Amino acid sequence: MTREAYITGVAEFLPGPPIDNDGMEDHLGRVGGRDSVFGRRALRWNGIETRHYALDHRGRSSHSNASMCAAAVRGALDDAGLGLEELQFLAAGTTQGDLLVPGHASQVQGALGAGPMEIASFQSVCASALMAAKSAWLMIKAGEHDRAVACAGEFSSRWFRPSFYDGGDLVDAKGRLHPEADFLRFTLSDGAGAIVIEPQPKPDGLSLRIRSMELTSLAGAFGPCMWAGAVEGDRDLAEGGWSLAGPMASHAAGAIPLQQDFTLLKKIIRAWIGVYLQRVDEGSIVPDAVDHLLCHYSARSIRQEIVDLLRNTRGMIPEERWFSVLSEVGNVGSASIWIMLSRLMRSGKLLKGQTVLCIVPESGRAMVGFILLEVV
Amino acid sequence: MSAPSEPVADVLRRLTVVFTQFEQDLEATPIIRRLTAGRFTLPDYQAFLVGLRQQVRDGAQWMARAASSIDEAHFDLRSTVLRHAVTEHRDYRLLEEDFVAAGGDIAVIRGAEPNIGTEALTAWMFHEAGKPNPFGLLGAMWIIEGLGSIKAAEWGALVRKRLDLPPEAVRFLLYHGDNDAEHIEEFRQMLEMVLPDEAIAARIVKTASVTARLYTLQIAEMLA
Repeated sequence: MTREAYITGVAEFLPGPPIDNDGMEDHLGRVGGRDSVFGRRALRWNGIETRHYALDHRGRSSHSNASMCAAAVRGALDDAGLGLEELQFLAAGTTQGDLLVPGHASQVQGALGAGPMEIASFQSVCASALMAAKSAWLMIKAGEHDRAVACAGEFSSRWFRPSFYDGGDLVDAKGRLHPEADFLRFTLSDGAGAIVIEPQPKPDGLSLRIRSMELTSLAGAFGPCMWAGAVEGDRDLAEGGWSLAGPMASHAAGAIPLQQDFTLLKKIIRAWIGVYLQRVDEGSIVPDAVDHLLCHYSARSIRQEIVDLLRNTRGMIPEERWFSVLSEVGNVGSASIWIMLSRLMRSGKLLKGQTVLCIVPESGRAMVGFILLEVV
Repeated sequence: MSAPSEPVADVLRRLTVVFTQFEQDLEATPIIRRLTAGRFTLPDYQAFLVGLRQQVRDGAQWMARAASSIDEAHFDLRSTVLRHAVTEHRDYRLLEEDFVAAGGDIAVIRGAEPNIGTEALTAWMFHEAGKPNPFGLLGAMWIIEGLGSIKAAEWGALVRKRLDLPPEAVRFLLYHGDNDAEHIEEFRQMLEMVLPDEAIAARIVKTASVTARLYTLQIAEMLA
């Protein structure tokens, strides 16, 4: 016997003021001491106008990944009308945590200063948010806990500082950083989001009944598409990881920073569409019945490809139902979906009975997830 | 571009799902994995062209046969399929020229034995094409044209990058990559000529699935 489950609180945390395109390299720093050649092009592709960094203009950090998540968790509990002491389960997702070890959820619990509880850490890319949320959802459904939180956060900018590239093979003889690495520097930024899940809606205000939450990984068919820890040619080899060569040699080889394979990304986008259209075909997603679509996509070019294909296959959800804050808050990886949901909850656009579809694509190694919510 | 009718959009959706699954299966074949992982060699490329030639040559033939199996009630469709056959019936020569430009011996590619997958694919295509009104083959065209418009240019670019070949050795793959939007539009029009009809819709999707599976077998059997 399983129970219903409801999202009763949502919150975002974005560090510092919004940083515009002209100011971003002051915060990230300049690889080889020079302005990026590729950055302007990346910004035209991804359409981001402002973002937030947990690094100030001199590169000093104002937060950790865990402390940003903790702030989002506090905000979500507050939104639900709960105190920290009532929390029973904490699931946390991230792409790269503050430490290599221990897990991110431990660090978030530590930053919260919360009492004894059950936790779970999920490391992936954008979909780690969904993995964490699904574990929290199932805890509530199964009756294992009554108040669960799922959070997700990123401190991407820390990994984009010049010291991660300078002196490594990702910088060419003229001092230019490879586009595969530079694109992500101009695309990803910092922040966190969190949701509270309970077995009943909150007494006043809007809650979201969770109708379904599912994730499909196609890693058996595709190699790593967004990766860190190996050079391009070694990323799919069992012996290729940075830990074998050690940190010094891996840095020199350019194996440490995040990179994106654009050619593979195009294939993975088609694979995402395939999974989505299969859901439409099976009837588990009905495009006409979706009132609000939250689609976390990392580039305008990706979005146009999606739109073109969907129009021909009755899979398109009309554009006026798409809700996006990408251009103002940036791409915050795993945290993006909760930041979008938090803004949608506060937009005044939600009415009881409406359906919200969240699509969470992850290019890391070809994964896509869907969350269907009903406003109650 | 107007929206397709509902029955056509429904078939396009199911065909897209089949194609994306096909693409994943192709990625897992040894020769494509070598190509995407940067381990592709010149002998691999030559083996790839040898492996493709038979099917490319047969393609225009089964299309012409399919056209002649279409009755007068579907005359416009017959014309369109015939035009396709004419456009493509010399493509295999281009492929042979690529093979020679990539250092291959013309006698080798012309005398090559079709692999197991090619045997199965060819037999299936001609079998279907001989049936009266073989509309299911629209599904086969979706798979094979999709390869041309989506995969060929991507593979061609990778081949050039890995092997440092001149463009005249990769013309067959590179020349197929254009006009994707036009292809889809024309394909939609062909579907509109035979739909709505549930049995035909199901047959088109089934034929696409079988063709994709056999095509994957053909690629899986290619190795230098």
